[in-house]
Amino acid sequence: MDELELLKNDWQKDNANYPKLTYDEIYKMLLKKSSSIVKWIFIISILEFIFWTLISFFLEDANFNKKFQEYEAKNIMLPIMLFGYIIIVYFLVKFFMNYKTISVTDNAKILMENILKTRRTVKQYVAVNLGFIVISTVVMLSIQFNRDQQMISIIDNASANGELFKFYSITIIITLISLGAAVGVLLLFYYLIYGILLKRLNNNYEELKKLEV
Amino acid sequence: MNKDKEHHFVELLEKHQNIIHKVCRLYTYNYDTHNDLFQEITIQLWRAYPKFRGDSKFSTWMYRVGLNTAITLYRKSKRRIKTQDFSDVQFRISSEEYDDTEEQQLKLLYTAVRQLNDIEKALVFLYLENKNYREISETMGISEVNARVKMNRIKTKLRTILNP
Repeated sequence: MDELELLKNDWQKDNANYPKLTYDEIYKMLLKKSSSIVKWIFIISILEFIFWTLISFFLEDANFNKKFQEYEAKNIMLPIMLFGYIIIVYFLVKFFMNYKTISVTDNAKILMENILKTRRTVKQYVAVNLGFIVISTVVMLSIQFNRDQQMISIIDNASANGELFKFYSITIIITLISLGAAVGVLLLFYYLIYGILLKRLNNNYEELKKLEV
Repeated sequence: MNKDKEHHFVELLEKHQNIIHKVCRLYTYNYDTHNDLFQEITIQLWRAYPKFRGDSKFSTWMYRVGLNTAITLYRKSKRRIKTQDFSDVQFRISSEEYDDTEEQQLKLLYTAVRQLNDIEKALVFLYLENKNYREISETMGISEVNARVKMNRIKTKLRTILNP
């Protein structure tokens, strides 16, 4: 006899052995809070949006607005800022639209896809933000190098002392370290989120996808 | 949602609760996690209930939500079967004197099913619940042919676990 048939016979007559919850016990469960992965993904995603939006604002506030008014570089900085706002709105709308499509009554594959799609939106948002920060930093530095009087005199000084190479090297290294730290934070985020929260979901999704090959 | 609907839902769930218990039996390893998963499935069913339309049977709908919760939404970490546990079980099976009683074989079968991965368990669950391949494919989101192929592979896998 087929092993599974044997198991099936037993499985179907096994009904009596399960616990029997009463009406009241089930009713009480309806009032409890869910601890589903979707809830956590939602919370973490919102925190990420807040975190990266704050970082962008902080950068704008600290670097762009104060000093850059002196450089008369508004025609460069304004489009960058505007672009930043468009990014936030676009990704927030996309995130909520994806989130709303998550339905536990879809089939397993679609449900997993929709959850992963929601996550991907946040991931893209963070990646775009990171790119935005890199571009802003480069633009900012080049403006500063061209228009900041203090900076120009430092460069002239370094040039006169024959330390221009050293000056540029140090500047580039410091910039790279700062950007590296930002990327590090991003990787830590994803290591934690994907490692803890999505590992099982990803595995199960891959397993389902494998069946379709 | 009005009180009548709430009452109706709890009544239906009370009647069909074995479906949830069975899902929990496959995906959890102790009493606490069994209850925890049961509760999560109940919450998910309740949340999805406004969208439930009478055109599918309540029990059919429960299978889908129950399995989705177990393999996708449930977050609490379960005791994963480690390689060590796996070989330990295999060792025990192979070294035990062959016992032909049905009960002994059933015990081994249940142990073997627990060693399958989440997706394989879902397919086995639907199979044990006497669902046809069309229903299995619709619940999992895979084609009927692939459901059939996978089921055959699972049978082979179980046989290998049982007769190493």
